[in-house]
Amino acid sequence: MMEIRFHGRGGQGAVTGTRILATALYYEGKFTQGIPMYGTERRGAPVVSFLRVGEERINERDLVHEPDMVIVLDPLLGKSVPVTEGLKKGGMVLINHPRGGRDTGLGGDFNVSSVDATNIALEEIGRPITNTAILGAFAKVTGSVSLESLERAINEQWKGRIAEMNINAVRKAYEQTNAPVDVSDLPPQKVETKPGELNVSSWRVYTPVLDKDKCIGCMRCYILCPEVAISMVDKKAVINYKHCKGCGVCTEECPVDAIDFVQETI
Amino acid sequence: MAKKFEVMVGNKAVAYAAKLARVKFVSAYPITPQTTIVQYLSDMCATGEMDAEYVTMEGELSCQASAITASTTVRSFTATSGPGLLYMHHPLHMTSWARLPLVMAVVHRSTKGMQPDQMDTMSQRDTGWLMLECQNSQELLDTGIMSFKIAEDPRVMLPTIFMGDGYILSYTSEPVEIPDQELVDEFLGPYRRPYPMFPEEAAESLKLMGAMWSNQHGPQHIWKMQQEAAMNAKIVIKEVNTEFQKKFGRSYGNGLVEEYKCENVDAVLVGMGTIASTAKTAIDRLQKEGKKVGLVAIKSFKPFPDEEFQRIAGYTKAMGVIDRNVSTGTKGGITFTEIRHALYDLDERPVTLNFHAGMRGQEVTVDGLKRMAEKTLKAARGEKVAPIVEWVGGN
Amino acid sequence: MSKPVPLSRLDAKEFISPANSACQGCAGSMVARIVAKIIGKEMVRQEVACCGPAFGNIQQPVFYGEIFEGAGAMMTGFARAFKRADREDIRVVGIIGDGGTSDIGFQGLSAAAERNEDMLWICYDNEAYMNTGGQRSSATSKYASTTTTPVGELSRGKAEKKKPLPLIVALHDVPYTATASVAFPEDFIGKLAYAKPIRGFRFIQVSAPCPTGWRFDPRYSARIAKDMVESGLWPLYEVYDGTLKISYKPKELKPVKDVLHGQGRFRHLTDDEVDEVQGYVFRQWERLVEKDGAPLL
Repeated sequence: MMEIRFHGRGGQGAVTGTRILATALYYEGKFTQGIPMYGTERRGAPVVSFLRVGEERINERDLVHEPDMVIVLDPLLGKSVPVTEGLKKGGMVLINHPRGGRDTGLGGDFNVSSVDATNIALEEIGRPITNTAILGAFAKVTGSVSLESLERAINEQWKGRIAEMNINAVRKAYEQTNAPVDVSDLPPQKVETKPGELNVSSWRVYTPVLDKDKCIGCMRCYILCPEVAISMVDKKAVINYKHCKGCGVCTEECPVDAIDFVQETI
Repeated sequence: MAKKFEVMVGNKAVAYAAKLARVKFVSAYPITPQTTIVQYLSDMCATGEMDAEYVTMEGELSCQASAITASTTVRSFTATSGPGLLYMHHPLHMTSWARLPLVMAVVHRSTKGMQPDQMDTMSQRDTGWLMLECQNSQELLDTGIMSFKIAEDPRVMLPTIFMGDGYILSYTSEPVEIPDQELVDEFLGPYRRPYPMFPEEAAESLKLMGAMWSNQHGPQHIWKMQQEAAMNAKIVIKEVNTEFQKKFGRSYGNGLVEEYKCENVDAVLVGMGTIASTAKTAIDRLQKEGKKVGLVAIKSFKPFPDEEFQRIAGYTKAMGVIDRNVSTGTKGGITFTEIRHALYDLDERPVTLNFHAGMRGQEVTVDGLKRMAEKTLKAARGEKVAPIVEWVGGN
Repeated sequence: MSKPVPLSRLDAKEFISPANSACQGCAGSMVARIVAKIIGKEMVRQEVACCGPAFGNIQQPVFYGEIFEGAGAMMTGFARAFKRADREDIRVVGIIGDGGTSDIGFQGLSAAAERNEDMLWICYDNEAYMNTGGQRSSATSKYASTTTTPVGELSRGKAEKKKPLPLIVALHDVPYTATASVAFPEDFIGKLAYAKPIRGFRFIQVSAPCPTGWRFDPRYSARIAKDMVESGLWPLYEVYDGTLKISYKPKELKPVKDVLHGQGRFRHLTDDEVDEVQGYVFRQWERLVEKDGAPLL
């Protein structure tokens, strides 16, 4: 039996992706068990789900503690979530990453395969939802599910143009996935967050950057920031990045466009 | 000091308990056969005889929910019956896992109709509340007072129901002694706020709330703690019963069970509340005839007095357990099931028989109880009796 | 009546710790932060099962009562107990969602209002049961797509109009009722400041757009809140001493079409349906304008 752990973000389709994969595997005669970790429905927060794949009905109902494979849907998650925790020795990480391979910040007794799923998703679907592209990569790296089965499962989930776009993403990812590389000589992932700690800065895909000179001290960004991450110092707004989720409200609300919204570097 | 007596109905005795305990918050809603409790309290508050916030809520669920928050800060009380208790089922669970020492009177009313049986409280037996049954109005008043002391004991801190049969106690008059207020004040002492809810206590409050919700010791931990508190309650109930005897000159068995004329018996009847009370007369008459049968009245249903039953099993060959309740799908009444569970590990066990009696207010007579006792004695003699579980017909 | 408070006059002290576990762009978080800030130290907060507890990390005592239907009753218990404990300086404030106010909590709301209990009920209105994934409530707008009123061949989203909750509460003849919006913080703050010292039942319903449930990019939370007000979909007014006063009168109401189509939950609306919504928004606005400055009953 194979045990997989998915790392994604709330609202980014990790649960749907797991279900599509489970369906595709079922067409190939496999039994699966897809376990989402339900918390409250928080858009942007790191979420985890599990998938067990076997030849017959799976009886164990506890959580997956030592996965054979870890799939990471968002390259920034590696910074704050211990994505390789429990991964079996000699296991595999499949990560959505622009550079990939030995440049993902991950290191240890496992292999890393990567694909720039975000880019593929933007090209094929027009939105950075990587849950289907990553399945194409999964098919390539493991060989345990065919593209035909994935397509069939996608056509069950969606109709028309949406299904078509997702299938294209799957196929493209299949082509562009990098072969697994050994990272046993690399240092382990540096995780910024302590276990149990809430680190909202890891939710950011975009970061607000304030031009102090433009700031007129109107305090609108200050009073509207849902995270109380903005304070006023000498009548100018100051952003505390430790508390900023990157929601973009301040960027949108600033009456003098003093706040840029810049993509986080991976 | 001259003792104060009044001929009163059971509901008034309950009201006196709340008044003497100096509760500061009463949430009220009418439901037969409890209604006059909240009316007496309303009168007492209106005349200044009682000094409390009296709020007529819009339903029993709200009675419980408001009493929950009020009890974080002041001694609180509410009362209900039957469907009213069922209606508050959701918040009942919270009162107990929040470990609030709230005291509530339940006047038994069946889940169908208005007549008494134990279906109301029995159906709530998993909510984590302590449950103390009463046989007469004096016991209602006394147990009401004791309930505050038991619930508020730091070793317990569990909400407590004290209960009695509707109509039979609630509306029947008998002479009841009203304990002296000063003595009750000494007995109970002031209320210790279980939750720091004042703004200057914010740090403590948040810590407490955080601990309530945390899984630091694993998700099961709060139930484990609750169970330990309930087990502690067995000791506390006995202590409070003894102290009550010292202070007021009355006690009820050992607090957990009352063994009535059980010296040198071959069999016992086991019952609760007014059935146990009537059974005392049946026992008196049978013993006059030379029959060796006694009565065990269960006072504390939660925590269930297993150890008491294990001890009683040592001197009796048969127990005839009378249940004013049923848990459909399980053969046998609820106390019967509990007793068998308590006795299971003993090397030698008495025969246990069960009688469903008194449901929906079906009358339980002295003669009826005598027949149940005779059947139990037959079993004690080693004779075959059937059925083990019997539905007692009308009379 | 209340007066808007310029942000420059605000005390810097916060009563909500930064960063919480709510969604990005959560307007409910904005509401909770502002309420805590204005009511200040002498506040005890009541929560029920909803998104509210996610706006946590506060610095005032909080009682998270899992009794979803019990907000009114639980706040009553606190208000009465604090009175008995000679601590009437403590203001009991509930930060409750629309479900816990308008549906399952409605009985408790009406009862507490009828008894004129001394509490401030803040309903942050994201127009659905968002904490459980976005199911419809009586506060959901007509035609909104929710997980229990989805769009399909036989359904156009929610079939019923939004329950007129603020007016229902106002007709209980309570000391103060108001509507507010995160996009108009000065007005919201003014209303909180006005409500704070009043003894008795006070109710403020705050429009709190939900990026996750209404389906828009989180950065537009306040923008959409503003559009709801500018279009008349969520008029700002207050009722004090039985008199209704509109807080903000746009020179011209913004067409609802753009406001609706900017939210994924309304994307399916046909022109006819948009016209229908526009129609009743106009009628609702006209009736409010008629009553502006007049007794409600």
